[in-house]
Amino acid sequence: MSDSDDRIVILQPPEVCESRIKMAYHHSMQLLLVEDELEIQRFLKQSLTDAGYDVDAAKDGRAAAQLASGKKYDVLIVDLGLPDQDGIDLILQLRQSGVSSPVLILSARRSVDDRVKGLEQGGDDYLTKPFALAELLARLRNLLRRNLAASEEASRLRVLDLELDFIRRRASRGGEVLNLSPQEFVLLEYLCRHAGRVVTRSMLLSEVWGMRIQPDTNVVDVHIYRLRGKVDVEGREPLIKTLRGIGYVLKDR
Amino acid sequence: MSSKTANPIMHSAAWRISLWATLAFAIGTMLVFAMVHRFVANDIQRRSDAWLTGEVAVLGDVAGRTPKDRLYGRVVREVAELASREVPNKLRSNGNENDSVFFLQAGDDGNLKLWVGVGDGTQHLAAIRALKAVSDVPYDLNVKGFKHPFRVASVRMEDGSHIYLGLSERDELRVLRNLRFRFLCLWLLIVLFGFAIVFYATRRMLNYVREITEAASRIGQSDLSSRVPTNKRNDEVGHLALTLNHMLDRIESSMHQLHTITESLAHDLRSPLTAIRGKLEIVLSSDLKVEQSEPIVSAIDELDRLTEFLNTSLDVAEARADALRLSRTEVDLDELLRVMLDLYEPCMSEKGLRVDLRSAGPVTVLADAALLHRVIANLLDNECNHLPAACTVSIRLGASENTVILTVEDDGPGFASEVGLQMFEQRVKGRDSKGRGLGLAFVEAVVRAHGGSVTASNPPQGGALLTINWPRAAEETVDAPHSLTLVNR
Repeated sequence: MSDSDDRIVILQPPEVCESRIKMAYHHSMQLLLVEDELEIQRFLKQSLTDAGYDVDAAKDGRAAAQLASGKKYDVLIVDLGLPDQDGIDLILQLRQSGVSSPVLILSARRSVDDRVKGLEQGGDDYLTKPFALAELLARLRNLLRRNLAASEEASRLRVLDLELDFIRRRASRGGEVLNLSPQEFVLLEYLCRHAGRVVTRSMLLSEVWGMRIQPDTNVVDVHIYRLRGKVDVEGREPLIKTLRGIGYVLKDR
Repeated sequence: MSSKTANPIMHSAAWRISLWATLAFAIGTMLVFAMVHRFVANDIQRRSDAWLTGEVAVLGDVAGRTPKDRLYGRVVREVAELASREVPNKLRSNGNENDSVFFLQAGDDGNLKLWVGVGDGTQHLAAIRALKAVSDVPYDLNVKGFKHPFRVASVRMEDGSHIYLGLSERDELRVLRNLRFRFLCLWLLIVLFGFAIVFYATRRMLNYVREITEAASRIGQSDLSSRVPTNKRNDEVGHLALTLNHMLDRIESSMHQLHTITESLAHDLRSPLTAIRGKLEIVLSSDLKVEQSEPIVSAIDELDRLTEFLNTSLDVAEARADALRLSRTEVDLDELLRVMLDLYEPCMSEKGLRVDLRSAGPVTVLADAALLHRVIANLLDNECNHLPAACTVSIRLGASENTVILTVEDDGPGFASEVGLQMFEQRVKGRDSKGRGLGLAFVEAVVRAHGGSVTASNPPQGGALLTINWPRAAEETVDAPHSLTLVNR
């Protein structure tokens, strides 16, 4: 978006951000990607591999079932519109045969009913096409963390010289308390929890404000701009960066 | 027929139908009875007349042959009394036999010569004299002091005297009265019974029609997959139900077809959009100079707009065709507006706009939360994009008994005049508008799909005014969990 507040135009390759994931675990995460559109399969496989995952790809339900029976995957990414069977049926079938890994459903369908249906039937998250890669990666991380049991309930969070106190709902930078509104605190908290990783506008809208909308205006940018004015004060290193066309990232080193 | 309204049975069609049917039946049977009655009365009279003419002839004969001596009166009286014992239609219960028959002989000078019967016969003679016209056929005679008329036959003797034989119509009338009384009782019984049967039958049938109506209205309001009840009988109402169900099958199948078309359209467009977007993102994430990344960024931006446009267009199309699938939950409009304004306020104040929300507290509506979010976002986007600086947007949320009224008013230039009546049509927009003209069409389509209405106007004091009437949540769902609405984390 051609927003006026994009002062910093830094293109941080996702693989740099995502390499953290790779290092966090001893082995790289095993992913099974079930997608029949070869174009989509190709670029997904590439970006997921770049992000440090080991990706096996299948183009239909049968191949997916075969792969899943031979290997334990950490996450399954399943497209709902498969040529030989419905993605939901595939997930059900895999669950029945003992595959308990979380599933990220990709769908080009429009109705919200499918989302609920998908979650009820064992899928663990849902993403509508087209999506931002950053969002896909964020959701994958969420699923993996959920899988490894949450360890988020700390009362404090530190990112470089930025510190968040969740009990007093207060943020400080280099010991100096920042004068944030409750809304800005929530926004900053979300950025900090995803420090070093890209967050998209729609992720912020759905996670911070709780709505899945696509505003025709730069509402999110103005919020980030204001937050940046309070966090990245004169003389301090700018932490909140805009990745044009992708989203935002809070620097963590 | 429920007893909810005052006197619902009297207003039901079953009541009216049975009333008219019973009336027709009652009049018909009454006419038939009148004919039967007439026939019976005539027949009885014919028999009496035949007897009278026969007897009077016999008496005349006897009177003519009997010598006019001292015994004359006695002989004729004996014969007359004998004859009176054979009166037709006579009720034996009546002890006094003679009061139903009289015999009278009057001389040609008009004096009473011989009398057999109750009383002295002067009254009878006076009545016969008053009648004057003497005919050969029996006639009716009203005698003073007698309740019932007499049927009188006469014969003229050779000596110029007249012999009259009268038979009281009392017994005949009593038979007819009995007949009428019995008929009336039976008629009343039959009519009431008939009314009950007709009422029961039509009520049953119309109850079934009512069930069909209720089911049809339920289907019309929400659930297109259910059907009106059908019965086993192969009658007209059963046909109606079957026809309705056939129609619903077709509507559902065309709805389904529309869904399939929009779904496959969405699918077929989304897959390439996903691939393009992904590839652009990959290019963007490699090391590029700012000038090189600029077109890619704007391409991604355009792709997102295109996706949003596609989604909204399909939503509007489906909503227009009443085929939009809504997953309704309880949404607090007041809370939603506050969160929305919290989101939009920075952007608006950045543009020099002021926002002012007036709400009387929580207002719950039953709505598809995702669509409602987009409706509010569309309204605010609209204000953001079209208002010049230093304007004020006033949002008012009010609730009446069964509607929620949301008004969005501003003091800007108002809606462009050329937009006029087509305000809510797709792709209609003001000349200076830079949007795709889908925003208000979407708002209107979604509100309509929820059973509400939208009106837009330029009030006389200037600016633009948009009023949304949203039906209130049904009472029985009030205690549904407040989840899914807003999670302000």
